[in-house]
Amino acid sequence: MSFLAQTFALTATALRSIGERRGAALVTVIGVTSVAGVLVSLLAMSNGARSLGGASAAPDEVVILGNAASSSMQSVLTRDEALAVKGAPGIRRAPDGTPYYTATTMVSVDAIRSNGKRGSVALVGFTPGVRLFDPPRLIEGRLYRPGVHELVVSDPIRKMYRGLELGHHITLRGTEWAVVGVFASSGTVNDSILAADADTVMSAFGRNAYQQVLVKLASPAAYPAFKKWVLTNPALAVQVKTEKDDLNETFAGFNQLFEYVAYFIGGVMACGAVFGALNSLYASVDARRRDLATLRAIGFGGAPIIASVLIEGMLLALPGALLGAAIAWMLFDGHVVSTQGLVLKLDVTPQLLVVSILWALVIGLLGASLPALRAARLQVAVALRAT
Amino acid sequence: MKFLPLIWAGMWRKRSRAVLMLLQIATAFVLFGVLQGLDTGVSEVIAESHADRLYVSSSVAVGDPLPMGLLARIRSVPGVEYVTERADFGGTYQSPQQPVSITTADAALLFKVYDEVKVAPAAVRALAADRTGAIVGDVSMRKFGWKVGERIVVASGLPKSDGSHDWVFDIVGVYDFPDHPENSAAIIANFAYLNESRLTGRDHADMFVVKVDHPADADAVGLAIDNAFANSSNETHTQSEAELQAAQLQQLGDLDFIVHAIIGAVFFALLFATGALMMQAVRERVPELAVLKTVGFTDRGILALILAESVAFCIVAAAIGLGVSVFLLPLARQLFSGIRHMPDIVFVEGGACALALALIGASIPAWRGSRLEVVDALAGR
Repeated sequence: MSFLAQTFALTATALRSIGERRGAALVTVIGVTSVAGVLVSLLAMSNGARSLGGASAAPDEVVILGNAASSSMQSVLTRDEALAVKGAPGIRRAPDGTPYYTATTMVSVDAIRSNGKRGSVALVGFTPGVRLFDPPRLIEGRLYRPGVHELVVSDPIRKMYRGLELGHHITLRGTEWAVVGVFASSGTVNDSILAADADTVMSAFGRNAYQQVLVKLASPAAYPAFKKWVLTNPALAVQVKTEKDDLNETFAGFNQLFEYVAYFIGGVMACGAVFGALNSLYASVDARRRDLATLRAIGFGGAPIIASVLIEGMLLALPGALLGAAIAWMLFDGHVVSTQGLVLKLDVTPQLLVVSILWALVIGLLGASLPALRAARLQVAVALRAT
Repeated sequence: MKFLPLIWAGMWRKRSRAVLMLLQIATAFVLFGVLQGLDTGVSEVIAESHADRLYVSSSVAVGDPLPMGLLARIRSVPGVEYVTERADFGGTYQSPQQPVSITTADAALLFKVYDEVKVAPAAVRALAADRTGAIVGDVSMRKFGWKVGERIVVASGLPKSDGSHDWVFDIVGVYDFPDHPENSAAIIANFAYLNESRLTGRDHADMFVVKVDHPADADAVGLAIDNAFANSSNETHTQSEAELQAAQLQQLGDLDFIVHAIIGAVFFALLFATGALMMQAVRERVPELAVLKTVGFTDRGILALILAESVAFCIVAAAIGLGVSVFLLPLARQLFSGIRHMPDIVFVEGGACALALALIGASIPAWRGSRLEVVDALAGR
């Protein structure tokens, strides 16, 4: 018989006898399921963190931050500086001449989570120009009006916190703010905010400076000239970055942390699953010692035996990968979690299923490696005599 | 106790399988130790915080600016021993990769409020006398190689009124938190210097820190402060140090749930593994167990024997796993500050989990083993 035929025959007999080793086989399947489930869930969270980054940012959007600020949270931009940016060349204009320009200010606001715990959300004030940018899609109510204490809330925030339903009022610094609208989740950092008019927010909170300015250029090619004009303007002590770079810098560490945690925990759990698989396959090989010895005696080679045990290991691990990914998908896909004032949308993508299957195959291979060697090294005479 | 050798021999009946199982359980407890250690470690930090300290911050959110005018009113609340304004900001030293944080306050009062800090009285006097002075934590002194008397420049996102972003400090002394060396990183400077130099946010502090006369009155004093500003445009939210830290922890939000879900998944898988292992072990030993019964072991004796074996096995494995996690935890500390060592309670929790795992996992096999019919078992039926 050829190598392939022998391997196939051996694998088939091994799988047929799996019913007699239900316990050990189930341990492998469940072990791999838990690894895959946890890994896929954590990576789904890391996907959510990644979408906060700049991947989805338009290439022609540019951010102006105060000097030496490492992120928009620490940035201070005076009214004069923010206004001066408006005169820069290359800013796209609406047909009526209004520039695509918005200055923003951010206030961190405590709110109570639906589980009773305290969390914080960002109340972001935008100057009116924000309407020219891709506006968040309102799904209920209407947009806030300038000069009145009104705000709109993202759909995930509304669901996650108490008292932020449409029509509710929240009291901040002795002023009542009305929730007048709800906008749809976009998977970006905007999911984590309450939005309002910048000047209204600044006067209510006694602020006299913005944090950043966002502009849209006529084309990405206008960026170098725009940047040069801003940086060489003596009235401006600011930094210029593309929106993409700014988001990437702000959230890079966050995203890395999640990936690091996911692979660390997944790795430790996978080690445990490998030990479980080793046990299961040793049991499989031991239970078939006499059969294997008989097959060796009638001319089966060592290589097909090794191959068949390795295949058995991977076949045992595979259902775990699918099951674990499926459980993670059912429980968590589209689910939102909040940490440090940011809303993350868990995103179970097909890539994660591939990652999960790859991990399972590696776990299966490693778990089958030593048992396969034992099976191949079987001393025919000894094994046949054993009971 | 005389059955101990028997239990021990039972555990190692099949060496390779026992070693693998031991490793599998130990791995699970490594993860348990690290995750649970992080989780409990943070709450332990809270438990040992100082009960006589109160943090008066804006009811909007911690760190939202409050006008300095509140200071006099807070000082006049009965039970307040000391109070100082506090404003923190961040910057970088020499390169954007070297962040530093600056805490500004009324220097003399700050060290009275944080009286556990080790600092030379002469340094505090020098700071009060030198507008641009700074007392630096010894962690940062060593990290950047600074010396007392040195002038340092910190680049910050906070603009000065002259338009520059360079904040100059003259180091006049060193401080140290003896119990929490990781807290000795910030630069402590004069609020007055920050306030008159900055472009925006003048005459506002991030919070006021109060030391009360008697820790027992802390809640009442906190309430009195909040009442004093109720319904004003500067409503305050006064919290104890423990509450403040707990609130910061809550900002981690759902991470707590995630940790527990992971531990749950790990133990669910492990439960099946131990159960299957014990089942296999019992099945292989049917003749031996029958012999034990023949020589006088009762059903209950066999049950206890198998359970004891499982418990001993899981406890040994858990001990190995938790031992490893003690060494791994400091690595995780780089991600989440505030944890120094494995809290003792984690060992207790780990032990309890191991016990539960062993008993539940072995319950069915042990029950089966104890119900053996001697004649059938010996006959191999």
